[in-house]
Amino acid sequence: MDFHTAAQYASLLSRDYAEDIFRLLVNYQAISASEVAARLNLHIKTAQDFLESLEQLGILSKEEVLEKKRPYYRYILKKTRLIIDIDLAQVKRELSKNSLTAYIRERENAGARFSVARGDDYITSVTIWTGDGREREERKIKLTTPQGKFLFYLPFPRAEPLTVDEIMQKAGIDPNLAPEIVDMVQLLEKYNVIETVHGK
Amino acid sequence: MSLVRKLKPDRNITGAIYPLSMLPIFGTITLLFGYTTGFFALSIMIALFGLFYLYVYFRTMNAYLLVICAESGFLSLLLALMYVNSPIGNGRFMPSPFDKIEYGLSYFSGLVFFGIVIVFLTLTRKLKWRGREVFELAAEPVEESGDGYTPRPRPVGTVAYTMKDIHNFARFCASHQIALPYITSKNITLVPIKMGEEFSRLLGLSGDYRDATWINFDVSGEVSVHIAHKDYLDYREPLPFDQLCTAFGQVFIDFLELFKKGEGVRVVDRLDDLKIGILS
Repeated sequence: MDFHTAAQYASLLSRDYAEDIFRLLVNYQAISASEVAARLNLHIKTAQDFLESLEQLGILSKEEVLEKKRPYYRYILKKTRLIIDIDLAQVKRELSKNSLTAYIRERENAGARFSVARGDDYITSVTIWTGDGREREERKIKLTTPQGKFLFYLPFPRAEPLTVDEIMQKAGIDPNLAPEIVDMVQLLEKYNVIETVHGK
Repeated sequence: MSLVRKLKPDRNITGAIYPLSMLPIFGTITLLFGYTTGFFALSIMIALFGLFYLYVYFRTMNAYLLVICAESGFLSLLLALMYVNSPIGNGRFMPSPFDKIEYGLSYFSGLVFFGIVIVFLTLTRKLKWRGREVFELAAEPVEESGDGYTPRPRPVGTVAYTMKDIHNFARFCASHQIALPYITSKNITLVPIKMGEEFSRLLGLSGDYRDATWINFDVSGEVSVHIAHKDYLDYREPLPFDQLCTAFGQVFIDFLELFKKGEGVRVVDRLDDLKIGILS
């Protein structure tokens, strides 16, 4: 199951009335949206949307029936066991070859504020200001200790750039922590705090 | 040695403002409450000035500062003696203290003694904060123009020392007024102080010392440097910041090496050889 589908499942299951509707679906052979709404005192649109969403996820099937020439749907539960199974390795960032070999340094006039830990050699947070005038907003990025150590050793603007790998070695960071370092580097690149130096 | 200064000339009178501010306060109190109260207020202000220097003495252990304490105490006492009966309030003001030969002799002998001693100590730089010399020395090997300022600290390397070494070195820097040490269980941070900045820094009016220029020695031998933007802008040229931080760190690492060899006096000589004005 992909993350998006799992999120849809979770979103539906988190509704207040979800358990009650499932109880009806399990106990009734087939049920319409208006019957669900009447039984649970819900708005018909709420019941309709919920059942349609379940049908789209393949949990229900629906069949059209006619009553006094007016068609409507009756919903039938297809399975009585729901399994949400997400492989989180799917969302794990795969490091590209050049993410660790890119030469980086702090961008000149980055305009960021670095808060240094008291009594230790690492940065605890980076504060960035975005926008102008009334749109100006402050964003504080809290760093993990390895990220803070990495940033402490980041070359200054105009200094000789170093690769991500070299900086990690200087800062004594475990290579297994590379994904969180690369994530922070990419975020700070986005905010123009770090620059990649090409042609090294 | 090159006499081309990398720092801008010192035109800061902040340091003089604190003692000089006693005069307008004295004038205002005299105008409002009469000269008896004015002199008494002046006596209190001078005593407070002496107390401040006593605090600076305990902070730095520079014994020469005790001369200022003694002088302040002496002047404060003489002003207070203008009252026949101290303290203020019920005391009657001595109509003309200088009519009393004892008072006049005491006043002039004290003035001459402290005047000569303080001028001597000033000329021989015993009372000078040497922060400006440190900044000038750090900029010496940095030649090319650059910039690239960042408020981040820079790690400048690992140095072999024991915590005892670094404690002694911090005491040495304090007693020669090279830098003010801030000691925690894991770090010793040295904050160089320029003349005129000592009042605000020691009175805690300059904010957190971590925002100032400092060099930090930690328990594991890591040395890092931070240069405040204000101090960076004090250089005439926008120096390459990375090199400046490295040179700044190297200055203190060299000082530490000299100190460990028992040649601390050479550190003071190197700084004094820069011949920076005694009041800047």
